[in-house]
Amino acid sequence: MDFRPSSAQQLLISTAREFLRKHCPPELAQRIALDPRGVDDGLWRRMAELGWQGLLVPADLGGSGGSLLDVILLIEEMGRAGAPGPFVPSAVVATCALLSAGTAEHKKRLLPAMAAGERIVGVALGDAGNTLEIDPHGWLTGRALFVEAAHVADAFIVAARAGAERRLLLLPADRAGLAHHPLEAIGPEKIFELACDAVALRPDDRLEPAAARRAALQAGALARTAEMVGAAQRVLEMAVEHAKTRVQGGRPIGGHQAIQHACADLVRDVDASRGLLYAAAWNASEGAPAAADVAMAKAYAGEACLAVARRGHQIFGAIGYCEEHPLHLLHKRIHAASVDCGDVAVHLEEVARAIGLSA
Amino acid sequence: MDFEFSVAERAFADEVRAFLRADPLDRFALDGMDAGYGSGAHSRAFMKALGERGWIRMCWPEAFGGEAKPMFFKLVLFEELALAGAPFGPLAGSWQTADAIIEYGSERLRRDVLAAVARGEATFWQGYSEPDAGSDLLALKTEARRDGDDYVIRGHKIWSSHAGIATHGLVFTRTSREARRSRGFSMFVVPNGTPGMDIRPIRSLTGGVYHYEVFLDDVRVPAELRLGPEGEGFQALLNGLDSDRFWGRFYKAPALERVLRRLVDHANATGASKDAGLRRRLAAMATEIAALRLLFYRAACLLRDGAPITYETAMAKVYADETGQKLARLGMDLLGPWAPLRAGSREAPLGGEISHAYLTSLGHTIAGGTAEVLRTTVAVRGLGLPAEPRRA
Repeated sequence: MDFRPSSAQQLLISTAREFLRKHCPPELAQRIALDPRGVDDGLWRRMAELGWQGLLVPADLGGSGGSLLDVILLIEEMGRAGAPGPFVPSAVVATCALLSAGTAEHKKRLLPAMAAGERIVGVALGDAGNTLEIDPHGWLTGRALFVEAAHVADAFIVAARAGAERRLLLLPADRAGLAHHPLEAIGPEKIFELACDAVALRPDDRLEPAAARRAALQAGALARTAEMVGAAQRVLEMAVEHAKTRVQGGRPIGGHQAIQHACADLVRDVDASRGLLYAAAWNASEGAPAAADVAMAKAYAGEACLAVARRGHQIFGAIGYCEEHPLHLLHKRIHAASVDCGDVAVHLEEVARAIGLSA
Repeated sequence: MDFEFSVAERAFADEVRAFLRADPLDRFALDGMDAGYGSGAHSRAFMKALGERGWIRMCWPEAFGGEAKPMFFKLVLFEELALAGAPFGPLAGSWQTADAIIEYGSERLRRDVLAAVARGEATFWQGYSEPDAGSDLLALKTEARRDGDDYVIRGHKIWSSHAGIATHGLVFTRTSREARRSRGFSMFVVPNGTPGMDIRPIRSLTGGVYHYEVFLDDVRVPAELRLGPEGEGFQALLNGLDSDRFWGRFYKAPALERVLRRLVDHANATGASKDAGLRRRLAAMATEIAALRLLFYRAACLLRDGAPITYETAMAKVYADETGQKLARLGMDLLGPWAPLRAGSREAPLGGEISHAYLTSLGHTIAGGTAEVLRTTVAVRGLGLPAEPRRA
């Protein structure tokens, strides 16, 4: 047993941290979060130059063929820096879905361009708010909610019902009948309703098997967990720094047990979340059955990392309530990640079945 | 990264499981209360069975009769025993004392005591706390006065687990009055039955006896029974307490997993498993237990690799104890009106295990460092927050 990232992974982590420190400082994260478009093209391009969007893409398709664990470690750093952009939906969820269910032509058309940062693929795979249905004549109607970055996506991978069956579709963003409408949310992520009004489907829209949806969502759940762990780690670091330097009544507030014990709980929540994340990501990367581990990691982080953010506010006091302070963005990012790719309740139900509770 | 056991570790786990299958647990007589930590009741018979297999001494250096097996073998043994609910109560304490004797024990301790530990015969109580020295351990008053080749110990120890059924006490004493608060302490390995030692049971809120108080009225012990150099006992004690947080709690996660499985079976049998709220609580418990297990394995890797430990074991201990309390609380909710029935009651569900765990778990966030003291340790030693000023 060994919890340490390999030396190659350590290099990936330190490179990512250094790059994000330089190219994604808190001021940039802040500016992009408040910007209505919410994507920094320069940052997205630089990330692609480092091969990040192509980390999961095999070398013959323009990527670097990394493991899921590699990308999880990278996303943890992105979460720590509050990096903006549709990395998780496009570079993780859509990439996984295409790799396991795309035709050779789909892969060739999209993956090299996605890896190069030139194409973005959005996803609508969750059940919540999804009414998409394919009628017997092959027309797609309905809507999907909570689709991230639909305004910059070149294509979408969507899950839709066809009678009792579930289908997986790859649709270009400019297909007639497809529209997106913003859902204004509290956080920095730009999320949309994807509306389908009698969209005509073509034979090569189908991704098979449709069960690939589950594996893609599982990778997404791990990615969102990594984002939460990274962001919570940053909150912990900031809160401890604040507790050491904020002086009231002649001594640092971190000299009081009330604050010390709060900080002790932050480090527990972050460490415990990270342990479950790494174990689940390692299992998934090794090809071992990981559904229950992933569900545990996501459910746990959804509670624990959110608790870190909320307690962070208490430690920071009034200053953390300001828009210009970075804490709220990390907090909102953690919350958004906790409900994407299955919220706590969804994952706990998965765990409930895994531990043998009969329904 | 690697979250799998090695081939040798897996083979050893199989060996332990085979032993547990071949020797049903009810074969072993119990002689002391299960305090709910996860190591089961005190059973000398079971300790002897472990001793016969060489599993108590397996990680000691060969020069001391061991086989120099890697530390993870102990974790594997703990995990398998705890998952099975075996009565290995004193094992962690035996290992810790043996390690201390190997590190700085006298020839006599190494010769007499170590061999008895290996056979599962020698077990130990900790004579640390005193009526006025709890979290503030250095306020202790028990004194050991040098007299020729002997020491004469005088004082009053309390909250010593299993003192009445163990074979030796680890008695922490003051051997000199020095200016520095942490100097002048020495530890002694004192055989039970030494004249002047009076061990009295303290009945706990469970109705059973786990703790004892020990009166030491001019107890004369040879200097060879001192553990480590005179006056340097405090560091040995700190090492012991640090190690206690890890070794005395490592098996909590698998032990809680065993209890959780019983609760799941019970919920399935009664139909309570259909309740959405209860499903979530049980599932959340399973994730917390999994997280707890990994916190301990991470600390284990740091120990194995000789990496510095600052806060990891303190944090894991608090989490172990609070998770145990939470599981017991959940179990009580699940059992409803049946919850308070005790072991031996005709109608007690799960053999009364849950009500017992509910009561014993109350003590866990107090014993071996309170949750408050340890959170401060995490903050000060782990995160570098400023220590609160001490009153002189």
